[in-house]
Amino acid sequence: MLHSMNNMRYLQFFESASFSPDVSSSSPKLWNFRRVSHTEDSSPYPIPGLAADILHMRVKEGSKIRNLLRFVTARMREDRRDSNSTSLRQVVFTGSGRGLTKTITCVEILKRTVGGLHQVSKLYYKTVNDICENPQQGAPDVTMQRTVPAICILLSKDPLDPQEPGYQPPQTLTVPTEDTERCSAPVRPDLSPPSQNTAKRLCLDEWSICSP
Amino acid sequence: MVENTVEMDPVEYTLRKRLPWKLPKRRNDVYVNMKTDFRAQLARCQKLLEGGGHREICVHGLGLAINRAINIALQLQASSQGALQLAANTSTVELVDDLEPEDPDEAGEPMTRTRNNSAIHIKVFYPDTP
Repeated sequence: MLHSMNNMRYLQFFESASFSPDVSSSSPKLWNFRRVSHTEDSSPYPIPGLAADILHMRVKEGSKIRNLLRFVTARMREDRRDSNSTSLRQVVFTGSGRGLTKTITCVEILKRTVGGLHQVSKLYYKTVNDICENPQQGAPDVTMQRTVPAICILLSKDPLDPQEPGYQPPQTLTVPTEDTERCSAPVRPDLSPPSQNTAKRLCLDEWSICSP
Repeated sequence: MVENTVEMDPVEYTLRKRLPWKLPKRRNDVYVNMKTDFRAQLARCQKLLEGGGHREICVHGLGLAINRAINIALQLQASSQGALQLAANTSTVELVDDLEPEDPDEAGEPMTRTRNNSAIHIKVFYPDTP
């Protein structure tokens, strides 16, 4: 649904991004607008109690995780070598639409590299104004509004309010799953094919128990 | 299944994804996937909240279903006229892939590879204080 939302071939005003039917295939030819630019409504962070000087990382769909994290880990570890008190205690990751999953992945990797971070996550809708160029000459450009889901994640070295909805304490140990217990190394030769079948069968059995 | 050519081996493998971690499912747990229709999953969540009498439900999403899970949670909140609150937790899940040699006569061994994926767990609840 979100993929069809980004295909700007149709002219409709949407209240929510989720209920958009895929009308791109049935749109008439003269509605072949091309997206030129888009502006976002800048609303303040939905997270209360943020410090004034905070690092704001905007994660987009085409962002490279490696570049983002290299920057953030360098800034977060700066304060150890720096004699001045310029330490980066808090960082905010925001992402919306297609960059949503990438934002969460960035946060997870960062939590693993820099341990002991408290986390507060907030979900909200963000309105985006898309300016589409009209292929007909002389006709004005069209601005379309749509709302996309967005996430705002605050990571902080300082402890945060545990009563805040969306709070997650720092997790020092990884949660052991049955898969990690079975496979310790990233790639290793599996000894016998039946073990794989039992693995699958085990999962299926548990699913049959759990499914209503 | 997808063929996976691993650069360290000249043999072509068949990639088979193992199912993710077991789902401990309480009555108010909803696991979102990309195969079922969106409206059906949304209706299921609404039925649990209104008819089932649960004070809170937990919506889980793994990988690509994270977007859909967030969408469902935000839609639930919007349709409740602000009565519901959301609390999102993120986690990392390890997934294991089984690599099997395509040709059983080939001198290749079945191997496994682990990779990480992000997951989100959104608690949708009526706040206690009125």
